[in-house]
Amino acid sequence: MDDTMSKQGSLMRPNRRRLMAMGLSGGAAVWMGPKLGWVGTAEAATPPEKPTGQAVIGMSQEPTVFNPLMLHIEVDEGVYFNLFSPLWRPGPDGNLIPDLATEIPSVANGGISEDGLTWTIRLRDNVKWHDGTPFSAEDVKYTIELINNPDFRAGRRAGHELVRDIQVVSPTELTWKMAEPYAPYPAILSWTFIVPKHILEKEADPNTAAFNNAPIGTGAFKWVERVPGDHITLEAHQDFHGDGPYLERIIFKYIPDMTVLYTQFQTGAVDYTGIQGITPDKYEEGKALEGRVVQTVPQPFIENIAFNTGLPVFQDRAVREALLYGMDKQSIIEAIYYGLPTPTESFLPSQSWAYNPDLPQHEYNPEKARQILEEAGWVDSGDGIRAKDGVRLEFTNSTTAGNTTREQAQQFLQQNWLEIGAKMNISNLPPAVMWGEYWMMSKFETAMVGIGFGIGPDPDATDFLHSKSIGAKGGAGQNTTQFSNPEADKLLEEGAAVTDQEQRAEIYKKLQEVTRRELPYLPIFQYAMVQGIKAGLENFKPNFAVQENCWNANEWYFSS
Amino acid sequence: MGRYLLGRLGQNLVLLWLVSMIGFGVLYLAPGGPLSQFALVPGMSQEDIARIAAQMGLDRPLPVQYWEWFTRLLTGDWGRSYRDSQPVLHVIGSHLWATLELMIAAILIAVLLGGWIGVMGAIRRYSFFDYLATIGAMVALSIPTFWFGLVTIYIFSVKLGWLPPGNRYTVGDGSFWNYLHHLIAPALVLALVEVAIWSRYMRAAMLDVINQDFVRTARAKGLPERQILFRHALRNALIPMITLAGLQMPTLLGGALVTETVFTWPGMGRLFLDSLGYRDYPVVMGILMFTAVMVLLGNLLADLLCAVADPRIRLD
Amino acid sequence: MAQVAAAAIEPVVLPPPTRHRALRRFLRHRLAVFGLVTIVLLVLLSAFGPYLVPYDQLFIDIRNRFAPPFVSAHIFGTDPLGRDHAARLFNAGRISLTVGFLAMMISIVIGTVVGAVAGFYGRWVGAVLMRIVDAILCFPSVFLLLALAAFIKPNVLTITLIIAATSWMEVARVVQNQIRSLRERDFTVAAEMIGASDTAIIFRELLPNVIGPIVVAATLTVARAILMESYISFLGYGIQPPMASWGNMLNNAQQYLTSAPWLAIFPGVMITLAVASFNFVGDGLRDALDDRLDAQ
Repeated sequence: MDDTMSKQGSLMRPNRRRLMAMGLSGGAAVWMGPKLGWVGTAEAATPPEKPTGQAVIGMSQEPTVFNPLMLHIEVDEGVYFNLFSPLWRPGPDGNLIPDLATEIPSVANGGISEDGLTWTIRLRDNVKWHDGTPFSAEDVKYTIELINNPDFRAGRRAGHELVRDIQVVSPTELTWKMAEPYAPYPAILSWTFIVPKHILEKEADPNTAAFNNAPIGTGAFKWVERVPGDHITLEAHQDFHGDGPYLERIIFKYIPDMTVLYTQFQTGAVDYTGIQGITPDKYEEGKALEGRVVQTVPQPFIENIAFNTGLPVFQDRAVREALLYGMDKQSIIEAIYYGLPTPTESFLPSQSWAYNPDLPQHEYNPEKARQILEEAGWVDSGDGIRAKDGVRLEFTNSTTAGNTTREQAQQFLQQNWLEIGAKMNISNLPPAVMWGEYWMMSKFETAMVGIGFGIGPDPDATDFLHSKSIGAKGGAGQNTTQFSNPEADKLLEEGAAVTDQEQRAEIYKKLQEVTRRELPYLPIFQYAMVQGIKAGLENFKPNFAVQENCWNANEWYFSS
Repeated sequence: MGRYLLGRLGQNLVLLWLVSMIGFGVLYLAPGGPLSQFALVPGMSQEDIARIAAQMGLDRPLPVQYWEWFTRLLTGDWGRSYRDSQPVLHVIGSHLWATLELMIAAILIAVLLGGWIGVMGAIRRYSFFDYLATIGAMVALSIPTFWFGLVTIYIFSVKLGWLPPGNRYTVGDGSFWNYLHHLIAPALVLALVEVAIWSRYMRAAMLDVINQDFVRTARAKGLPERQILFRHALRNALIPMITLAGLQMPTLLGGALVTETVFTWPGMGRLFLDSLGYRDYPVVMGILMFTAVMVLLGNLLADLLCAVADPRIRLD
Repeated sequence: MAQVAAAAIEPVVLPPPTRHRALRRFLRHRLAVFGLVTIVLLVLLSAFGPYLVPYDQLFIDIRNRFAPPFVSAHIFGTDPLGRDHAARLFNAGRISLTVGFLAMMISIVIGTVVGAVAGFYGRWVGAVLMRIVDAILCFPSVFLLLALAAFIKPNVLTITLIIAATSWMEVARVVQNQIRSLRERDFTVAAEMIGASDTAIIFRELLPNVIGPIVVAATLTVARAILMESYISFLGYGIQPPMASWGNMLNNAQQYLTSAPWLAIFPGVMITLAVASFNFVGDGLRDALDDRLDAQ
């Protein structure tokens, strides 16, 4: 979370000049158009015969949770992708790639029954745990059952709760029943890493198992050591079932400050910048560094202003719309974020198969904003601030304190909105306070926040947009804007129940029209992270569907 | 003396108990909690958060949680970190050595260099050297460490390439020289402030002693100036310095947050701030109790030394 | 910094100083005079500076961001939002200096009263008060800052109170130590014998003897409060944007160290000047109030 919060900037659709610059700077990736995103090119260099060299990955947060099923944050997932394997992983184009499974179950290949309730999973037969034990369908069964174990502190249960009656047919095949059809489940399984039954079943309490600090997985790298507060070392797993690994070791180094992280990258102490990458103001400077490749990679987070629509002042749609017209989005992106992120009108990343490119385009028009407010009855209360029926157009805006770039955007908006007669006060809070009850129980007035609305590559946003997800009203989700719209509810329910992707895309496109019209969030831009890689470290692939950028380290290698 | 000591120790135990209660209450009642950091993880819902809070026992009344923590503490169980589920003592232990290494290096530099500057400043009061040392100390005290650290890295690592840009050692190279090479810059940056502080204390202490009767007597006896200063004056001036060293013990173990951040040093300061930021209650409470014991011992020691040095002070 | 205030711990017994001699000694202390002049200048600059600059400190001109200093009407350049750096610097001075002064006053008053009472009454009252001080000293200042700030909305006054709340304990310890030693002296005993009230003894006889250490602690506290405010900003509880203090200006400039160094240099110099000046003045006062120095 802190990541989304303190994330400093990004880019996606680069202009021509930037595209050329990137092509020249290392040729590690090529822009294949909005559908495919950045795709690695076939480099002249080839991976080495056996694992060689080590890569130091600098991260501004510390990975601390190594049981992938427990409550964790994004940095931890960077470690999981290398230590463990899911049944399938999200590919850079948003499609799923088989990992432990041999295929993605679908109605077409018979993996999922017509009614969407019976699933059959077929697994690889050549997978070994790091301790040499063969992997089997029992491990998959154990993993899903552990997540649903009431005594286990599982991070996320959505989807898994619907699984019933898991049957192991053979070591390479298992089936289960779903309580109801749930289209996002394949996406959820893409971030569900399988844990070893033979290790964990012996533990009395899986929450404090020794495994949690000496994990054994099926990933391309195996656990070596962790020095708390400093680093984690993994080494190549020779029996890895997939491509690679080509590196002998990877080291995740915790570097709490982003300025320091950049300096260490600059001097070569760090080969690769993981979460949160490089601050946007260092982008140009970083690109000029010799022997370093600095590029921007898309992320699934959308920066937006979230309104608490439970407050009288924001119940009027005219206010939300006027504030959007009064926002000089262009300047925020061009100046404060150095033109790196892409402006957006949607809650979905533009790479998503459900992204709607035909939404109304934002226009900065303070005159229009004033007009809308006048017509809706919001008139000057004498001091330049508008009011209607005794409600002043004055509110606070909050975000994680200490995020310099975001605070600049806040102050800029403050001036923007004062010009249309709306007074915004800034009240920022430390992360543990900001994203606690204050956010979850809708105690904020407006917030500046980066949110990944979908579930990995899946566009299901029930958690954020369905009226049954309002925490402040006893709901289970994270609809903190208290957005309540029957049309949106209906679309979300349909979208989760239908399995056909074409059909689902249509539904979510309509949903994006609804949110663009109703504006529970004012979308600003889609994040991209500025990432630095030491020249010669090849084959990193950006992936908008994952929250971190170490997801394919098994394919990395040094060209020498 | 013995009765006084027993009494103070008893009082300190009561104090520790009070500190634990207040600390626990303040920490748990402060807005936000250990689960906030997960709020924006994709797929995380209010339902998941409420369930996990219940599993962790965070939804129980405060006194119940305190009582459980406290009774466990009495049996030697400090609890486990919410972040990496390791025992608290283990977590503290794994950061303590890095801090000690850095602090001891810095204090050594500070005591030797700062002591020397202080003594010289006192002997040659209002000389050019004294002014220079005074100005230097003040500037050192007012430069934010963060800046000084960054500039040091920028010059010696980025531009000149002489020193590593932080970190305690190169992963994979555990040699003594590697450690030492990495220790130079952070130790010097941290020592800058310490040198300033110690030189001020030393100067003040020396000045006090120089004007006292026994020094004048020594002078009157015609002893060589060198001998007067170093055998008589300095020796006496060191008494308050020992007190000071005692008082600095908690600081020593508490770590140097900013230096640790700039130089990516995995020490106690960082651990405390991160734990506080993530609301890792067991670790924060653990560090709190740990430092409280150090502070109380340090204070007791200081009071005892004061009484020894000045018999007019009644210990009661 | 935390230990600096303890600089005055050495037990020094002073007869009431003679005013003229003290003043002479102070003036002889060249750095102290320099410090005093600098403080006066800083206060004047903060008070009147904003009226001398032709820009509003809050006015954002995004097209004119990162203007370097000394080349345009923006004498100190502009910040990442194109605001005038000079205007912000002077306005920030009001906040930083106010926080520094007020925090010092509050912590000195609390610290002196607690220390004097504890030192004078010894036994029960003294023991209880000093154990309370010990208890508060047990909490690392980061913890106290975060704990207090978590319950209070940040503004100039509350931040001042928070800083004062975390810095009076050392003054209390210093004063208590001195009073404890002084109250056994002949002049105190004599005052008691002629039937002077406790209050009179404390204020007339004892405190004047402790004034030296208190003054030193005071100046050190000012310096510390200014730095502490920036530390609170660093932790995320500081003065909220768009208001500026020297501390948060410096914090926000951190990432522009190489690209726009003036953003850091100006507030950095201001803090250094203020902190150093207060310390010089403290040094000077300490010497001025120490009669023995004339013996040299």
